[in-house]
Amino acid sequence: MARISIDPVTRIEGHLRIDVEVDGGAVREAWASCTMWRGLETILRGRDAREGWVFAQRFCGVCTTVHAVASVRAVEDALQLEIPANAQFIRNLILIGHALHDHIVHFYHLSALDWVDITMIPKADPARAASLAEGFSQWPGNSRRELEAVQMKVNGLIGSGQLGIFSHGYWGHPAMRLSPEQNLILFAHYLQALEFQRKSCQVVGILGGKTPHIQNLAVGGVMNAINLNSIATFNMDRLGTLQSILQDLIPFVQQAYLADACMLSAAYPEWFHYGRGVTNYVSFPDLPTDAKATQFDLPGGVIMNGDLSSVKPIQNWRDRAVPSGVTEDVTHAWYQGKEPLPPWKGTTEPDYTDFHEDAKYTWVKAPRYNGHPMQVGPLANVLVGYGSGHALTRKWTDTAFTTISSMQGGTLTPEILQSTMGRYLARAIRSAMLSDLALQHWQLLTDNILKGDDTTYNPPNFPKHEILGMGMHEAPRGALSHWVVIEKGAFTNYQAVVPTTWNASPRDDKGIPGPYETSLISNPVVDATKPLEVLRTVHSFDPCMACACHTLDVSGREIARVKVL
Amino acid sequence: MSTSLADTGSGRALPRVSIVGLGNVLLGDDGFGPLVVEMFRSLYQCDASVEILDLGTPGLDLSPYLYDTDLLVIADAVRPQNEEPPGSLHVYCEDDLGSSQAQLRLTSHDPGVLESLAQLRLAGHAPSEVIVVGVIPESCDPGGGISVSVLKSCLIAVDTIVRLLTERAVQCSLRCTPTQKNLWWLSGSA
Repeated sequence: MARISIDPVTRIEGHLRIDVEVDGGAVREAWASCTMWRGLETILRGRDAREGWVFAQRFCGVCTTVHAVASVRAVEDALQLEIPANAQFIRNLILIGHALHDHIVHFYHLSALDWVDITMIPKADPARAASLAEGFSQWPGNSRRELEAVQMKVNGLIGSGQLGIFSHGYWGHPAMRLSPEQNLILFAHYLQALEFQRKSCQVVGILGGKTPHIQNLAVGGVMNAINLNSIATFNMDRLGTLQSILQDLIPFVQQAYLADACMLSAAYPEWFHYGRGVTNYVSFPDLPTDAKATQFDLPGGVIMNGDLSSVKPIQNWRDRAVPSGVTEDVTHAWYQGKEPLPPWKGTTEPDYTDFHEDAKYTWVKAPRYNGHPMQVGPLANVLVGYGSGHALTRKWTDTAFTTISSMQGGTLTPEILQSTMGRYLARAIRSAMLSDLALQHWQLLTDNILKGDDTTYNPPNFPKHEILGMGMHEAPRGALSHWVVIEKGAFTNYQAVVPTTWNASPRDDKGIPGPYETSLISNPVVDATKPLEVLRTVHSFDPCMACACHTLDVSGREIARVKVL
Repeated sequence: MSTSLADTGSGRALPRVSIVGLGNVLLGDDGFGPLVVEMFRSLYQCDASVEILDLGTPGLDLSPYLYDTDLLVIADAVRPQNEEPPGSLHVYCEDDLGSSQAQLRLTSHDPGVLESLAQLRLAGHAPSEVIVVGVIPESCDPGGGISVSVLKSCLIAVDTIVRLLTERAVQCSLRCTPTQKNLWWLSGSA
């Protein structure tokens, strides 16, 4: 029995430590620990409820807009304040732009190198790679010339002997199995993705005034001035620019990203059998299509025990059947407290003890729904949509399945998505869906403005008595909720239950582990000193620890530390 | 108030310059970068080709903001090498980053800087020149505000940025009347 400790696992914000016990080439036990804390929720207490979002969007440097929007939605929920249709559409477009950005970065820049071996690229035949790529995708960036240029760059990098940021990869690992040509295609898109990452930021910038910290939100709507006759405001010119950026961005998502996720799926089919983990899922409804937020373009719901045939829908943001079942447990987290508490009554009092796997071992609380751990994220989103017969989800899931079948034969079912590779594929499917929805919501906004509606804001009125609110958002990493208690217009309590809290949850009072921990059981590990396979499963959740627990490190420069104990 | 990310397809006669503040404004002296760029914005007027950006702690999401710039100036908190007093200022060039001379502190936004630059270089869209104006922080505790020692260095950091720009023939002039500084995070809670 070998014990492996990997710290930190994320390539981005914050610090996740994973401990696994390996026996016979597979993981037998796993613990997920977040090693940093910064209690930002405490900073919000006493603040003006109209300004909460400005602080909330600094919870995390990566997921800025999602916290801003969840915060205003929570306050609007407490006030039962309706916002204008234009405000819904503008927020939706910002959220779509942000999500596409986030998913592109996750796939190419944060996790592709768990599967792609760049040291194989010099062996590739660019002509063969081009014809391979053109066989399953219309993407124009797959030409022989383009691929030759990328190969030259990689040859130069490897020839220099200075791999720089790529020197930490597990190159030559036996679990790397793509052909040289497949490695070349994926790495070419890794570089091209930088341009499209930029375009998705432009979407957020045009609507939000600034990125990464948007300026246009307000409790009650958005502050964008709409006037088709003024050049200084939001007008047809801006709408036209927005549309043309979306039209540039969408083909990359639907033709390159989704096709690459399919290629990875076909090349590593065994990864549809690892990483299943917790099979209870929750996804929040999002992208409302009316001012009152009664209709949504992304359905919400709950799935228990992986049973896709019985999705329990979450109708809208006022539907409290699911939120009322949410509690957070701190038995194994470094906080004071005894019983699991609903977020409105939640506390954030630290009680640090060092890592004790049988007692407290993480800064992440254990959220539970009716006492059960839940998995959140694009997979939950796609499964809820598929299970409830949502046409757009089915369209893109079926497109992906057909593409994979054409590459490796066999037929795929949504059941297999409940796996490590399924999480990668679901994220790509969701991105393809969001691309269609981007144009639809652009059209909704344009039509509404052309109809003569230029309202974007309904002013809030705060009562003196205590009010409670909850804001939902189906963020790139999954179901996000902000829970607020307001009195006389100021926060008296503020709790954020973020996607990574659900997924990186530790064991609870009953000893039931969270999704990361469960997903690692039976995960293969060929070489305990190079636990690439563990990273694949953990990275499939797109961990971002910053808002889950919070960060400040002085420990050193290593990208990752692996200790075999 | 829009960033050049909101401008598309414009001509590129002037060198594109980005003055970037990095750090989390809610974590005490980690907010040095955003504070310095806000002070610079308030005090100086620049060509339209100069972008002044408070980017927070974007990790790898930094790349889009550095894409195809000519000169990148980053203001940030850095990890002390020796027993240096808080508030000490250092100027680093790109070669210093990742070498023994400078180590950007491993907070949330690191390794974002080095990784973003390396990716962009490989893709052929990296900034031509990178300069970091770094301060040694006193405390990066949540809600702590900026320490006096770091605050004292902020104006010197602004002057340093002005000098760096002037040396490179990038126009920036002192405003007759400073614009309103937007330092919402330094206001106390109600």
